[in-house]
Amino acid sequence: MLSYEYVKCTALNQAFQLLEKGEKVYPLAGGTDLIVGMRGGKFAAKMLIDIKELEELNVLKEDDQGITIGAGITLNAVSNYAPILKNIRILAEGCHSVGSYSIRNRATIAGNICNASPAADTAASLYCLDAVINVCGSGGSRSVPVEEFFTGPGSNALKKGELVSSVFIPKPYPQGKGIYIKASRTGSVDLATVGVAVQNLGKTVKIAIGAVAPTPVRAFSVERAVNENGEKDWAKAAKLVHDDISPITDLRGSREYRYHMVEVLVRRGLEQTMGV
Amino acid sequence: MSEKITINFTVNGDGDVREAVVGQTLLKFIREELHLTGTKEGCEIGECGACTVLLNGKPVNSCLVLAVELDGKDLVTIEGLSKNGKLDSLQQAFIDHAAFQCGYCTPGMIMASKALLERKPKPDDEDINEALSGNLCRCGAYQEIREAIKASSRT
Repeated sequence: MLSYEYVKCTALNQAFQLLEKGEKVYPLAGGTDLIVGMRGGKFAAKMLIDIKELEELNVLKEDDQGITIGAGITLNAVSNYAPILKNIRILAEGCHSVGSYSIRNRATIAGNICNASPAADTAASLYCLDAVINVCGSGGSRSVPVEEFFTGPGSNALKKGELVSSVFIPKPYPQGKGIYIKASRTGSVDLATVGVAVQNLGKTVKIAIGAVAPTPVRAFSVERAVNENGEKDWAKAAKLVHDDISPITDLRGSREYRYHMVEVLVRRGLEQTMGV
Repeated sequence: MSEKITINFTVNGDGDVREAVVGQTLLKFIREELHLTGTKEGCEIGECGACTVLLNGKPVNSCLVLAVELDGKDLVTIEGLSKNGKLDSLQQAFIDHAAFQCGYCTPGMIMASKALLERKPKPDDEDINEALSGNLCRCGAYQEIREAIKASSRT
């Protein structure tokens, strides 16, 4: 059995102090990545600080600025939240793609991005929505655009002593259709071999892709062709995605397979959101 | 030896107070401390669902929960479904429809299905597929499992 300390935090300040003072201190929310990672030797935790029941982190609300999703909110709660189901389909789909139903009863959206897998299912949708990651620590709070939060495989923009307090989806939400399409080896539980989010923004499109680079990436070449050069041939536009990605070969698929699937999924995404 | 923390919880309706070892999973705690061995250990990485239990009414993988996280919570395991020696109607439906062969996935399947029927008393195929998305049956009794759940929902 692994040996480490466990502290159930009763105040945010307590969490900041423990994170700042200690070495190998990990925040525990859903634990679905953390516990597996510790067992596999990926995280050598000396202390877990349980933050999931802190009141400040259990906010799920919509106001005139947008939607705030606290770090303690589970993925099932996000994908079943009425304003998201109704107005932000792409995020509901991204959250719904993670793991399985029982995993999503524990796992959080904040945990999904802090784990910073290049294949994080919620990331591509968050990129398309210009989501903001609210970070807090004893030095105060700051906001990081989601595209700057991912800094490499498994690494994020958090500094020592900081944790994510919430994920914020700003208004106005995109009016057009948005979808998240995931290619994976099995219908559930598996990580994405490739994950593509495509969001129609009225006259333009935004596209983000997971599992094809060290971090989730935007398909800028495709976006430019469609948004600036008026490309209407989606198959032609989708080919340009090869310039935006640098996939590797791993157990989920080869580099070549990923190049192929990204093109297919971007084309399908454009067809389904921008019209055939 | 690891630190121990006192936890208060209810298991299958009864209140209990125990010492939980930090680092022990809820799955190991249920099997080795509470001696409720109906909950099965499969993959231990949240991929198979054999260890599914209800935590505050929601199905979770007990291999991905720490025993210390049980403090203040309500736990229901497969042993908590029968009442006065009589099987729950869902358990009976699994037997009637032969919804298993080896039976190793069955406790997890039933706990996940039980939670589904609580939140959606008349589930369709899509609801069932979603609710059981984290539960593997290597014997391949999925069709019979679906039929058992639907039969139970009609009673």
